[in-house]
Amino acid sequence: MSLLDDPKAAFADLSRPEGWVLGVSVAFVLFLFVAMLTGALGPTYFLFLVGLAGMYALLSFGLNAQWGFTGLINFSVAAFFGIGAYGTALMTASGSPIAGGFSPLVGLAVALVVALALALLIGIPTLRLRADYLAIASLGLAEVVRLIVLNERWLTNGSAGLRGIPGFFDGWPVLSTFPEAMPGLRLEVIPGSPVILETAFWQASLNVLLVLAFAGAAYFVLRRAHRSPWGRVLRTIRSDEDLARALGKNTYSFKMQSFVLGSLIMALAGVFYAHLNLYVGPGDLDPITTFYAWVAVILGGSGSNRGALFGGIVIVTIREGTRFLNDVALPIDPAPLRLLLIGVVIVAVMRYRPQGVLPPQRELIWPSAVGGGGTPETPDSGVRERKGGDDDE
Amino acid sequence: MTMSEGALPKEDAVLRVDDLQKSFGGLAATDHATFAVERGTITGLIGPNGAGKSTLFNLISGFYEPDGGTVEVNGTDVTGMEPYQVAEHGLIRTFQTPRKLEGMTVREAMLVGPRKQPGESFLTLFTSPGTVAESESANLAEAERILEDFEIDHLATQPATDISGGQMKLVELARAMLAEPEVLLLDEPVAGVNPTLAKKLKGQIRRLNEQGTTFLLIEHDMEFVMDLADPIVVLDQGHVLTEGTPEGVRNDDRVIDAYLGGGR
Repeated sequence: MSLLDDPKAAFADLSRPEGWVLGVSVAFVLFLFVAMLTGALGPTYFLFLVGLAGMYALLSFGLNAQWGFTGLINFSVAAFFGIGAYGTALMTASGSPIAGGFSPLVGLAVALVVALALALLIGIPTLRLRADYLAIASLGLAEVVRLIVLNERWLTNGSAGLRGIPGFFDGWPVLSTFPEAMPGLRLEVIPGSPVILETAFWQASLNVLLVLAFAGAAYFVLRRAHRSPWGRVLRTIRSDEDLARALGKNTYSFKMQSFVLGSLIMALAGVFYAHLNLYVGPGDLDPITTFYAWVAVILGGSGSNRGALFGGIVIVTIREGTRFLNDVALPIDPAPLRLLLIGVVIVAVMRYRPQGVLPPQRELIWPSAVGGGGTPETPDSGVRERKGGDDDE
Repeated sequence: MTMSEGALPKEDAVLRVDDLQKSFGGLAATDHATFAVERGTITGLIGPNGAGKSTLFNLISGFYEPDGGTVEVNGTDVTGMEPYQVAEHGLIRTFQTPRKLEGMTVREAMLVGPRKQPGESFLTLFTSPGTVAESESANLAEAERILEDFEIDHLATQPATDISGGQMKLVELARAMLAEPEVLLLDEPVAGVNPTLAKKLKGQIRRLNEQGTTFLLIEHDMEFVMDLADPIVVLDQGHVLTEGTPEGVRNDDRVIDAYLGGGR
């Protein structure tokens, strides 16, 4: 709101880390844009990266709703992601051993229902117990789901995976034929390096549209939930569950809601992935996905939706950006460097900014209740920034 | 001059504890404890270290499940209920060590207090955001009013983790008031609080009591509790030793024995 009314004040309101992130992001986007114009970065590949970033953002949103909001330790991000991917793939893929050929909307619904069932299955026995038990159970769950997918061939095709997954918009009016209908474009901004936009590019832009819709919806829901009384109870549980119970909050129910919500968002990431990649296999359930989601949330600042978004983008940048190291002659294989780099980033964040790059900044009270934007009693940005301790401010 | 258990009629008891028992291993932490808190009183609960005061609080508020006996709040049997259900029946408690709510401002932490907020239902956030906004505004106004009553409104937008231990106790009491308790259990309200703030807390408790809140409080500071509470329940080795006026309790030989360790 304030960005449109009064852009100057909106920028002045940013805390220093926010300003930094904004500046670096703008520079990064410009850099990518130039890379595209010079032909160093294919526009279709760029859109694929945006899709991946959206997917990781969804995973981080999901984990943030569980761990960031409520303090639930979930080590089965990959399982919920995989359930989403397999759920829709089994319904829609031509190569599906059980169903197949359904509309992706059916796939989406099935994926969400299965993820819901799985979340309840693991939540009911563990959420009444101490936080550690969910952590342990979810660790086991991730392996169980992966092994079932790998071994139950009648259901999942086993290690061969599922092929022939349609695009999400196949069979929709207008959108299904949109990529073919669009003309091929040839832009030559810089002479000698033309940028060609054709069917694959338009297909990729549809995928971006899809992930933006998913991530946008998730962000909208989480943002509203986070600053509501509902979210406040979750944050109380995270700090001190007994206090919440003593004040009459049914913490089991709240934890369950937070767990289910996060799991559904993770499944959403899986649904998108299946229709982006058009193939899913047991390898997609590898625990590395869980690891990436955790890194993203820790990096961005737990409890912060913007932080989760930022963390997701950083993960994709490191994961995909290091591919360009292949072109540089290095004495060692660049693939392990990727994990090393992520490790270094995590250590640096823990050392210099343990609360994450973009921790929740402002007071979280239902916006209209505080009496409109900018009243003097509304604390400015950085309520939490002040107590940063080792901050140099 | 001492009064035995049940000597007071207590027709209008807001909290009734009957024959409550709890053992940890072989130790009977609560040993057939029976007493009642009459509406409108500030009832003190004292006893030497290890007498089982905190265990009793945990049993009453639902954090521990009793091995036997019953707890009644407002005439409803709440034995074995979850803490949140006990709270829903009007019994609110505080904790010995102030609980810190990280990343919240004082008034945010206050807003956890009100019970049954419409905005605590996830669906309502999207189906009826207007209702949520309305109740949030009302709760915020009420929170600010209570902070003013407590003379700590200047702390409203401070991070809840940055205030002093004594101020935290005040905030905790203020937040508990937002839950509109029928009976408020305070676990050592002035432990570790400087004398000035302790005096302030005492005044606040008295004021709230005059406005109708019933209190049951554990306190080691004898001067504090004798000045504030009447009647006083004395707990020793898990059972109610005696109950009576501050003067009565102060002059009771059994109480003196219990504190000096001669009663074993």
